[in-house]
Amino acid sequence: MPQIITRQQLLALIDSLLEAGTKVATPVARGEKAFFQYLEKGDAPLIDPAVFPVNSTKEFFFPRHEILYTFERQGTEVLVTDARPFVAPQVVLGARPCDAAALPLMDRVFGWDFQDRFYQSRRENTTVVSLACAAPDAGCFCTSVDLSPETQAGADAELLPIDDDTFEVRVFTEKGRILFGGKTSESDKTGRTGAAPDRKFDAAQIRERLQTAFETPAFFSEAAVRCLGCGACTYVCPTCHCFDMVDEGSVDKGRKVKNWDSCQFALFTHHASGHNPRHDQGERQRQRVLHKFSIYPEKFGVLLCTGCGNCVRGCVDGLGIRPVLEEIAK
Amino acid sequence: MPFEVYTFRSSGKRLFAGKNTPHFHAVYGIIAHKQTIMQDIQTEMRNRAKELLESKQAGLVVGFTLDEYGKPTPAFITDPDDVGRLVWNDDCVRSRHNLVGCLKRDEVRKLGKPAVVVNAAGKRAFNVLIAESQREPGDVVLIDMEPEPRDARFDERYAKLAMLDTMSREERFAFWKKEFTRCFKCYACRQVCPLCYCTQCIVDKNRPQRIDTSATLKGNFAWNITRAFHLAGRCVGCGACSAACPAGIDLDLLNLSLARAGETHFDGYRAGENPDTLPIIGTFSVEDKETFIR
Ligand code: SF4
Ligand code: SF4
Ligand code: SF4
Ligand code: SF4
Repeated sequence: MPQIITRQQLLALIDSLLEAGTKVATPVARGEKAFFQYLEKGDAPLIDPAVFPVNSTKEFFFPRHEILYTFERQGTEVLVTDARPFVAPQVVLGARPCDAAALPLMDRVFGWDFQDRFYQSRRENTTVVSLACAAPDAGCFCTSVDLSPETQAGADAELLPIDDDTFEVRVFTEKGRILFGGKTSESDKTGRTGAAPDRKFDAAQIRERLQTAFETPAFFSEAAVRCLGCGACTYVCPTCHCFDMVDEGSVDKGRKVKNWDSCQFALFTHHASGHNPRHDQGERQRQRVLHKFSIYPEKFGVLLCTGCGNCVRGCVDGLGIRPVLEEIAK
Repeated sequence: MPFEVYTFRSSGKRLFAGKNTPHFHAVYGIIAHKQTIMQDIQTEMRNRAKELLESKQAGLVVGFTLDEYGKPTPAFITDPDDVGRLVWNDDCVRSRHNLVGCLKRDEVRKLGKPAVVVNAAGKRAFNVLIAESQREPGDVVLIDMEPEPRDARFDERYAKLAMLDTMSREERFAFWKKEFTRCFKCYACRQVCPLCYCTQCIVDKNRPQRIDTSATLKGNFAWNITRAFHLAGRCVGCGACSAACPAGIDLDLLNLSLARAGETHFDGYRAGENPDTLPIIGTFSVEDKETFIR
């Protein structure tokens, strides 16, 4: 029997979680845009499949800024204190399926040779509830990267709209069962996932063509001219995971922090000598495409892109990754 | 005029038609004509671009085309047969993209002498670049889509600040805290700004690291306020930075506050409005009352 929950019951569930001290992240409207964020007092959760939040849910697992350890000089000694990896349980609600599907991809990166406890403890302690898509927008291309709106990857449960005020709840894991246990009721109605976007290109063909991409930078020259070299596409991307580790504070007292970084910045590969092996934007664009469609797949067997289109929507110049991929596939 | 200007007056029509332009209604009266007029402007713009490229007066034309959402986005045309990609419509008129900002990029500079589609804000940005010795008049061909400087826009823009003016200090601080929390330091605002042309931005200098790279509240305040200060008396109010910000932060509010202060304290100075006026920052005069500099 399908399980359902009304919008009101869902909001009550969120409230009870917040009251119990659990952090809950959902999309929230800000001006004309929506952003995934931890709910604060007075925030209205925006559970609407027609909304495409600007950012991805990756920040609740891999935050833009994280303290790794602190240091303090005490006389001739230096006291170093490890930051404790995150342990409190949290809920991410309303993730797009392509957002949730990015999590297993990130798991591989942060648990491959070095085990990143900061990332992993967040993953272990987070329940991810996705929200079925209503319809693709012009940026979506999940079907071109071996996924579809039907994917369950990375999600503990999924909400499928039946009408404006009712959702079918599909539970996939134990965490999902714990969250929704006793909160749903039986019904004969089932929710829907909207239409899938048209297939835009063949990822296998792209991977093959990229084998020679170092020699044919022509693929990237148009993108290089259009691209500003900002970090927007990589920061809104659910699968981009590059970071920088820096010291902050003073010699006497400070901290080592881990901050997001972007391969689209010229500074990313700028050597102390002044040399920059990726000396123009075309090479930086190539890096982003190669990493997602060649380097990562070679290592882990799957693509490092869920076709969510966040990068396309987030780019002021309407670029992002898809136009580049379409150019390569031509 | 200190630079080459192409205006579109040749056909005898007013070739700038914004949705809310009172002149437009006065001249043409009925809206039904507007579509055709916009198309004429577009055709004329394409022809001009083609002519510039064919005659090699320009190696590159920077104008607008439409992205997959149908929104105006910069187009870089080097082939005269490609001018059909150039678009001019109502959204381009309203667009806060400042195409002059594209010209600073190495990849764009490589394509040859540029011709660029500009509105009044674009022209003002170009004037500031000349005043600051970043460009020579004649370096760039301006394809001027707004031959009448819309002065009204200049006055109207401060109206936006009323919202901040009515807040107490504490409320303002709370407002900016909420806004800056969303900044993740993608630097899109800097990358689009025609006047952020430093080859190495202060945030990219790490010996020492004066501004935290962390996108924390402290790091974000440091970044956004430093950028606003660096644009004081220079920002032309195009709004490109606000439009580019994926976090939806209205950076205009910061820049406008400083522009208004400059206007109040420096005899109505408006950046780039008059190409012959010296910039208020970066100009030294022995009459300056601050003696520390001598
Ligand atoms: S593709 Fe767009 S978002 Fe990405 S770096 Fe370039 S301009 Fe910025
Ligand atoms: S590259 Fe773009 S489409 Fe692919 S996962 Fe990242 S943001 Fe989504
Ligand atoms: S700071 Fe001023 S000149 Fe620069 S992009 Fe923003 S509004 Fe335009
Ligand atoms: S564009 Fe917005 S999010 Fe990006 S650095 Fe500037 S203020 Fe921050």
